[in-house]
Amino acid sequence: MGVTCVCQVPVAEGKSVQQTVDMLHKKLEQLGSVKQGSFCVDCETYHATGNVGQPSKLLYVMHNSETPLSCMSLFEGGPCLVADANFDALMSKLKSHFQNAKGHKVESRGSRYRYCDFLIKVGTVTMSSSARGISVEVEYCPCVVPGDCWNLMKEFMQSFLGTSVPELPSVFAAKPEGLFAAADCVDTMTQYLELFNKLRKLQIPGSNVR
Amino acid sequence: MRRSEENNGGKMADVVNVGVNLDAFSHAISGIQALRSSVTRVFESLKDGMKNRETLEGREKEFLAEFQDNLQAVNRDLNELERLSGLVGRPSESHPLHNSGLLSLDPVQDKTPLYSQLLQAYKWSNKLQYHAGLASSLLNQQSLKRSANQIGASAKRRPKVQPSTLVLPPQYVDDVISRIGRMFPDMSIELFRPNGTSAVLLVTLGKVLKAIVVMRSLFIDRTVVRGYNENVYNEDGKLDIWTKSQYQVFQKVTDHATTALLHYQLPQMPDVVVRSFMTWLRSYSKLFQASCQRCGHFLQDGLPPTWRDFRTLEAFHDTCRM
Repeated sequence: MGVTCVCQVPVAEGKSVQQTVDMLHKKLEQLGSVKQGSFCVDCETYHATGNVGQPSKLLYVMHNSETPLSCMSLFEGGPCLVADANFDALMSKLKSHFQNAKGHKVESRGSRYRYCDFLIKVGTVTMSSSARGISVEVEYCPCVVPGDCWNLMKEFMQSFLGTSVPELPSVFAAKPEGLFAAADCVDTMTQYLELFNKLRKLQIPGSNVR
Repeated sequence: MRRSEENNGGKMADVVNVGVNLDAFSHAISGIQALRSSVTRVFESLKDGMKNRETLEGREKEFLAEFQDNLQAVNRDLNELERLSGLVGRPSESHPLHNSGLLSLDPVQDKTPLYSQLLQAYKWSNKLQYHAGLASSLLNQQSLKRSANQIGASAKRRPKVQPSTLVLPPQYVDDVISRIGRMFPDMSIELFRPNGTSAVLLVTLGKVLKAIVVMRSLFIDRTVVRGYNENVYNEDGKLDIWTKSQYQVFQKVTDHATTALLHYQLPQMPDVVVRSFMTWLRSYSKLFQASCQRCGHFLQDGLPPTWRDFRTLEAFHDTCRM
């Protein structure tokens, strides 16, 4: 598990989501990346029904095809639990405490590319089968400290993303030890969650996203 | 057409004058052709039969005369051929292939192609020997001996004098290593002895890499560099000293480290060598942060600058190094 950076790529002017994704694929293949299958990251929302009167906290249960035997559940900005895949069955048994908000399931699906020691995942974010945006995840596998390799990753992302290069993800800066703590899968999931929430709040636009 | 007295002549003549034999060979071949054509003439005249003449006796006489002429020509050619074949001689019995040549007499070529395979193997081994000779003469020009043995020491001295740096007490090795480990705060060195008296060091450099260094008394034998998040132990719990890293950047660093351990050589003072090597390895603590001194970029073909200059410890890409 290396350092990951998840960012959103805006849909190109006058093009559809699929066309922008294809453009990114072509750029990656020109660099010399090799396609290595597909990936899927999904997120389900549960309402905590415990306390009446207090705003119900939202629990997010996420899966990542990179770690297929794990299931991560987290509160936004709060603690995160990494469990094995049976956790989903456990959640269905806890119906009295956590209600599944069906129809709020968000997932990002797409192709997975490998370039030297980088893993690049370009996915279409869909919510109830309508495409909402494009997510790009870049992982630099050999390094575990984000502060060390951020410049390196930025240079790499510039080579195929052009101008839409993101800033250092806030999840790393927010840790107590700062940028020099080791990164792990929880940070990746936190970044995906932020992206999904941002896209969820976007209203379904008229003509842009199709 | 072989006569017994030609055997001895053939054996003697074979090695000495091959040229004569070849000449006689070509003459003998033309003799065979002459014989064939005269025999053909005989049968042709028989086929043609008697030519048209005035009287029957004339025809018969002419036919017989022609037939006799042809047969005499055949006899002449046959004698000539016998004479020539005597000059050619026999192929020598003692062919230089000795026992392996007997394999060539095996008729089943597709099921057991032993002889042809044997010839190929022989040619291959000859070529291999030749290339190995060339390679060893080239390699000997650059001395890579790191021990204190003198090359060409007299045969009397060599068995008695043991190179002192190869037989060091393990306690001394432990002391030197722990002293070097204390020199560098961001580098931790653990010493194991899984197989006998050779030390195996596990060097952890910050959160960047883990290097496994296999020693032979105080000489560094080989090294494997892996990432911080990779597994250093194998299933039995022992140090895994063979598996390469799964990341290309660390495979490159392993190659560079092997170059470094061959570069730093001081046969009489191996502890200085180990210290220099560790200082060089420590420069990798900024492996992902440093940019190349020559081109200024971080990435080249997806790799960060993995080369560290041996004197100045500056970072370069493998393709940018001067």
